[in-house]
Amino acid sequence: MIKDSIIEVKNVTFEYSNSEKTKTVIENFSLNIVRGSFTVILGHNGSGKSTLAKLLNGLYKPDSGDVLVDGINTKDEKYELEVKRRVGMVFQNPDNQLLASVVEEDVAFGPENLGLSPQEIRNRVDSSLKAVDMYDFRKNAPHHLSGGQKQRIAIAGIIAMEPECIVLDEPTAMLDPKGRKEIIKTIEKLNKEKNITVILITHFMEEAQNADRVIVMNDGAVYADDTPINVFSDAQMLKNVGLDVPQTTELLLSLKNSGFNVDTKNISIEETADTILKAFHSEGI
Amino acid sequence: MQPILEVKNLTHTYDESTPFSFDAVNDVSFSVFQGEIIGIIGHTGSGKSTLVQHLNGLIKPSSGKILYNGTDIWEKPKEIKKIRSEIGLVFQYPEYQLFEETVYKDIAFGPKNMGLDGEELDKRIRDICSLLEINNEYLDKSPFDLSGGEKRRIAIAGVMAMNPKVIIFDEPIAGLDPIGRKSVIKMIEDYRKRYNATVIIISHNMEDMAQLADKLLVMNKGKLIKFDTVANVFGDDQTLKSIGLNVPIVTKVFSNLKEKGFPVSKKIFTIEDAVSYLLELKERGEHFA
Repeated sequence: MIKDSIIEVKNVTFEYSNSEKTKTVIENFSLNIVRGSFTVILGHNGSGKSTLAKLLNGLYKPDSGDVLVDGINTKDEKYELEVKRRVGMVFQNPDNQLLASVVEEDVAFGPENLGLSPQEIRNRVDSSLKAVDMYDFRKNAPHHLSGGQKQRIAIAGIIAMEPECIVLDEPTAMLDPKGRKEIIKTIEKLNKEKNITVILITHFMEEAQNADRVIVMNDGAVYADDTPINVFSDAQMLKNVGLDVPQTTELLLSLKNSGFNVDTKNISIEETADTILKAFHSEGI
Repeated sequence: MQPILEVKNLTHTYDESTPFSFDAVNDVSFSVFQGEIIGIIGHTGSGKSTLVQHLNGLIKPSSGKILYNGTDIWEKPKEIKKIRSEIGLVFQYPEYQLFEETVYKDIAFGPKNMGLDGEELDKRIRDICSLLEINNEYLDKSPFDLSGGEKRRIAIAGVMAMNPKVIIFDEPIAGLDPIGRKSVIKMIEDYRKRYNATVIIISHNMEDMAQLADKLLVMNKGKLIKFDTVANVFGDDQTLKSIGLNVPIVTKVFSNLKEKGFPVSKKIFTIEDAVSYLLELKERGEHFA
């Protein structure tokens, strides 16, 4: 086991097949996720990122190769529950993940299945709801909440299992900008304060700004693996794999092409403005 | 010139005469002219979807009117079906509504219900597919074998195959990746150009709105709070901020520049605007500090 990695993916191949054809989605894929890190996985639809997510907690088993969670092989049926408790999954559509008619009952569902004492379940439900800032809504009905609030309840349900790692598969795709911000803020907080390892799959660039590491997937393989700033400033690479270039990078690149002397390795609004100022000052204007 | 669509004092109350009664749309009035692209922005729950569902008679106003070419769409309730074929509505996640065995049959569903058949129906489908660059080889496939983005395109083609004069989209690009998004935007532009159609789009993507729309309609808590050109709406970032909406990223960069003492004398919404404005400043070489 590599020191300090929570998840190791070793030479994994995975294919979908029906009676007519077989499609290899992931081929000879390897990846290590460091404990406590915040990793973002980007890729267009069909790049294999959702399949990868489902391999990480044993929902899918590799056709060849291995996935180790805390050293446990996801193929080992004896430890199936252990793997799923350690790596929680949050999906795209919040409506498909909530089942109880009261928020706190929904969050309690996972811990109840772990066979914990009622007091322990109570403690976990309360602290999870507080962690996602939804404690005040504990007696509400989930279907009366906004999309962002529902998605936070889904996350609370996962945290209540006290996982080492959370994998989120496009958790904000169906939310409005406000809901998206709420979710990203929650995820970043869990990563920093509770030291939960986060793997976030998304195609919104701005959600990756504060990540430790960005992995770009294409055709079931790693196409780029670097810091957010290095990935986002490589406009050509992003375009090659059909991803958006952040607006700020696009602006700086357009300026550069029009003869401005600007450093294009900036992604925040503040840095971009400063870069433009600097370019004008260097012209003596 | 007569507007193609006029909304007059439209109010829609949900759960009327119960303790839960609330106005999802509250006294909204505006006019749309043929060929315009109108963007509707606002938070989830601001009444956008309820508003557009009135425009083709899908739901009835609690009070107020919708005029299409000067006539109240509810004047003859029996003819509402005709209104629905002239004013097309593409729902959120329309791909969930695909159900036929083949892509061809799914696209044919709408025009068939309008009474088209035989060669006329076939020609209609071939025409719309060639305009929207839907390859012939797709037509015999099951829609369920397609990717999410492709399914969305087919669902939209099904509405466009009815040749509506006005076409309304409720978040047509939500949940799509960049490639899917670009292809849906291109479909909308191509359709509008070919038929000089009127387009109304609900979206949260301010960059796309800045590119596409002629005018923006801002909804907040069931009320229309602004209906103006893109420049005037994004120019008033205080109003947008106060209701928690974003302006395009490029506009934010220029607000930040202005705070830093840079001479920004006009509002910038797109990258093209930004580059040409900065080039102009550079050429003038004016001093500032």
